[in-house]
Amino acid sequence: MLSFIFRRILWAIPVLWIVATLTFLMMHLVPGGPFDREKKLPPEIKANIEAKYHLNKPIITQYGLYLKGLLRGDLGPSYKYLGRTVNDVIADTLPVSIQLGALALLIALTLGLAAGMASGAFAQTPWDKLSMFFATAGISIPNFVLGAFLILVFSHHLKIFPPALWEDARSVVLPAFALALAPAAYIARLTRSSVLEEKHRDYVRTARAKGLPEARILFGHILKNAIAPVVTILGPLAATLVTGSFVIEFIFSVPGMGKFFITAVTNRDYPLIMGVTLVYALLIVVCNLVVDVFYTLIDPRINLG
Amino acid sequence: MQSIFVLRFRRDPLAVLSLIVIVVLLLISVFGDLITPYAHDLQNADKSLLAPSAEHWMGTDLLGRDLFSRLIYGTRISMAVSLLTGFSALLLGTCYGAISGYVGGRLDNLMMRGVDVLYAIPDLLLIILITVVIGRGITGVFLALSLVGWITVARLIRGEVLRLKENAYVEAARAFGVKDMRILIKHILPNTLGVLIVTLTFRIPSAILAESTLSFIGLGLTPPAASWGSLANEGWKALKFYPHLIVFPSLAIFITMLAFNFLGDGLRDMLDPKQHKG
Amino acid sequence: MTTLLTFFIKESIMRPMKRLFIFVFCLLGLVIFLWQAGDGEKTTTQAIFRMNLTAEPPTLDWSLATDNVSIRVIENLMEGLASYDEALRPQPAIAEGWDISPDGRVYTFYLRGDVFWSDGKQVTAHDFEYAWKRLLNPETASEYAYFLYDIKNAAAYNAGKIKDASLVGVKALDDRTLRVDLKKQAVYFPSITTFTATFPQRKDLIERFGDRWTSPENLVVSGPFLLAEWRHEYRLRLVANERYYGGRPALDEVIFYVVSEETTALTLYETGDLDRVSLPPIAIPQFKTHPDYVHAPFLRGYYYGFNLQIPPFDQVKIRRAFSMAIDRTEIPKILKGGEIPATSWIPEGMFAHNAKIGLSFNPEKARRLLADSGYENGVGLPPITLAFNSDPTNQLIAENIQAQWKKNLGVTILLDNLEWKVYLQRLREETPQIFRLGWGADYPDPDNFMNLFTSTSGNNYTHWANATYDQLISDAASEGDPKKRLRDYNRAQRILTESDVPIMPLFFAAQNLLISPDIEGLKVNAMDFIHLKKVRRRDVNREDAKKVKP
Repeated sequence: MLSFIFRRILWAIPVLWIVATLTFLMMHLVPGGPFDREKKLPPEIKANIEAKYHLNKPIITQYGLYLKGLLRGDLGPSYKYLGRTVNDVIADTLPVSIQLGALALLIALTLGLAAGMASGAFAQTPWDKLSMFFATAGISIPNFVLGAFLILVFSHHLKIFPPALWEDARSVVLPAFALALAPAAYIARLTRSSVLEEKHRDYVRTARAKGLPEARILFGHILKNAIAPVVTILGPLAATLVTGSFVIEFIFSVPGMGKFFITAVTNRDYPLIMGVTLVYALLIVVCNLVVDVFYTLIDPRINLG
Repeated sequence: MQSIFVLRFRRDPLAVLSLIVIVVLLLISVFGDLITPYAHDLQNADKSLLAPSAEHWMGTDLLGRDLFSRLIYGTRISMAVSLLTGFSALLLGTCYGAISGYVGGRLDNLMMRGVDVLYAIPDLLLIILITVVIGRGITGVFLALSLVGWITVARLIRGEVLRLKENAYVEAARAFGVKDMRILIKHILPNTLGVLIVTLTFRIPSAILAESTLSFIGLGLTPPAASWGSLANEGWKALKFYPHLIVFPSLAIFITMLAFNFLGDGLRDMLDPKQHKG
Repeated sequence: MTTLLTFFIKESIMRPMKRLFIFVFCLLGLVIFLWQAGDGEKTTTQAIFRMNLTAEPPTLDWSLATDNVSIRVIENLMEGLASYDEALRPQPAIAEGWDISPDGRVYTFYLRGDVFWSDGKQVTAHDFEYAWKRLLNPETASEYAYFLYDIKNAAAYNAGKIKDASLVGVKALDDRTLRVDLKKQAVYFPSITTFTATFPQRKDLIERFGDRWTSPENLVVSGPFLLAEWRHEYRLRLVANERYYGGRPALDEVIFYVVSEETTALTLYETGDLDRVSLPPIAIPQFKTHPDYVHAPFLRGYYYGFNLQIPPFDQVKIRRAFSMAIDRTEIPKILKGGEIPATSWIPEGMFAHNAKIGLSFNPEKARRLLADSGYENGVGLPPITLAFNSDPTNQLIAENIQAQWKKNLGVTILLDNLEWKVYLQRLREETPQIFRLGWGADYPDPDNFMNLFTSTSGNNYTHWANATYDQLISDAASEGDPKKRLRDYNRAQRILTESDVPIMPLFFAAQNLLISPDIEGLKVNAMDFIHLKKVRRRDVNREDAKKVKP
């Protein structure tokens, strides 16, 4: 078990290194440096700026400096926010994104598992058909459409929840739900098919042959085993929530990392773009790691390879 | 054999309906010009922000452009982008996955580790990064979507190829000295067709979603080009007062995604009936 | 069903899914924990004023701030030698008063003795001398340095022709006396000292903290409010300055939220999360009858500038053709906010405004001019880039004008929209062929508008230089006789908008606002100043608030 975790952590290092290198290369492929156009600035000041950001050095040296910074956990200065570092920006915004993502995950799990189990248990009933129709609809609605719709109804018309800001419990409701619906639908579909699959296992037949009551078979055996695939997708799901949070944070003016990423892209703030990408990658790698470990905990049969 | 599929498919009314919707959408994107009452970029300051009426079926936007015409025009762009990226992602992914799965061993390991790395970056983020490098606009969006979409396909196809290559007929072909390339193309890939078709039907809605999201947050197409996403973005700004501006593009996205998802579900059940029976 | 439910709970939640639920509870805990870590210090009895800013302030360094978002914040943190009264006349502020020499070229400002920085030090004339010289220092690279060009040797020092800062005509004679030597008479000079770029600065702090001197933990100010928090791209929180020399403001707190989407801001107003909001064009028709609606004129012009350095706008005929091919009456139809279409540059409500000046809509003549330049019906003219900063209003106008030019001239225009800060940088470094800018009055004198396009102005991105124009503006600035002054400005406006056409004015703006009835004392003026020191909330009982506060 420990060696498994250890190996997984070791593997995360080259992944992050490659992601860092890849983003570094991409950002330096963009024609022209971020301060190239400073025609009006006196040459000595431009030189000062370039020296400050090491832009006057050969690219390989810059890469070396960047990696060296990364090892110390330093993501470099932001080009846009004078006097602030990428670390400052991430320290401010990451908690907000995690908070939103965790809340959405909570909602998605609750809704998705409940609907999926009920659907699987009562397969081919009208309830099942209806809930699966909604689940497919749920994965077909882009979250910005859902966000807009929620704002239209709950902010513009009912005036219950604010359409933006990140102040009190009131302001969290809409973004969290907008973010949670698609994953909830996805979980529901997955849970349902997993329940259906388990229904046909031998142990179910055995249990039935033993004359156990249906309800007991369902809750005691099927659902327990049907959970496993849902747990495996929690890692990728966390990634989906992170990705979705770009748009949701953009729509609801939530001061999270996604919103900053979008502004960093429009501003061509390369260090910030690289930093945020790396933090996202780290987040996903950690999520997957945690889920793998967690998975082995709930299902000891899993081979740790 | 063929007819069983068709029969099974026909019994799934949602899938049939979805197929019809998709065919109609394709027709609209090809022959849209014939039915649009106005040019998509024709402005008329005196007629800005009209509600839907007989004259303007979906109303007009702030600049007095006919929303119906713009939506039809957007259909073409959205469908073209998503179909093209769907196919090119499929092509890239199939090649990558097939080689990785067929050759196996170290190369497979290496290639899959590469895929793992890309998996560590969220799709949308990777797409945005690529558009930063190659620039916005339709080519940028198309390239970015294709360059990201293949990753999932590669994994799927690799799995299929791994499974198929153990089959007796592959062994036999190899024993007869048939070239690897030929085995792969003639004997293995045709058997992955089912998976490929299902994958494609699911790739397309992802592409629609990614494109519209990108355009919605203002990092996709640039005006006056319009896709469903950029129309929704314009409508979003007027959400409060003129919801028709966002309702119609959203509906278009929603219905199309729904159709592709239902079709995909139907096709999957049809090709893999085990999954279906409850 | 109930038995099923109890069974469900007993069998599945208790045992097999225990671990999943532990996970869920961990998540819940995380959410709650992060929540607690976020905010904790909210008291409802505080008098808080909340409004939105349309963008993150690019900087709070008042030597560098040029945009109205930054300035709006700075104005509530700081004060200058003079400040405006409600009629927009400069009145003594940090200066108790000033003497003007008989020839009008020497101003001596006498500072109050009771103005303190928030760290307890007194505001002295030396702080002004330092700030003004810092503004003019070429290394500061301030675009508003030209504000002080009326001062002796200021322009030369800013241009790097004089290296010695002590030659600049501003000197602290002692802690409370500031002497300013002008190169020539400038009747509006006290108005200049109301402007943010001329506010005092602390040498010791700027040198100690560098770029970070404006961050909340370092920023020391002397105005009615202090900067308590700056959550970038989200909000700035200001709290009342207890030591403000004009008396502690009635508000305890001011929160500026960064909300760029205007309709979002409007809905926040409606859900009671904002106290003042500016109406987006699309909303104006519906809100004209709203009880909170306020409409006011606005000394703000909106124009498109040409970059004269790159073809085809190096040819004056083409510039004229472009200006003439616009039917400006379409703009109020789209924006719906009572905008005044404009072909001249000095706005309505200001001295020397003259609506008759400028090139009026004449598509035939425009086409002819373009054909004369060799581009009949736009044939042969490569696509032209029109750049603007991302904003729905700018987008609408740009798309409208794009279509008008297509229709009337046959030319293809590419739109390029950029985030504000990047846009400003682009203007400075690589001016687009056509660019959008607006100008809000910093002081209500035509000089402020016309000075913009002199060859030495830091805000003239057109690369246009006309000696006659420069001379006229300079003459008018020191002209005491209104008739002669008017003549100068008329001539200058004709050069600007009829003969040389480095810019094409489009319209003058109007203000359309909603102000909460709970807010008292928020005066709307034609310059869109938002001075919050006199604002109070009706719905907060001050006595209660006092009790809650420690």
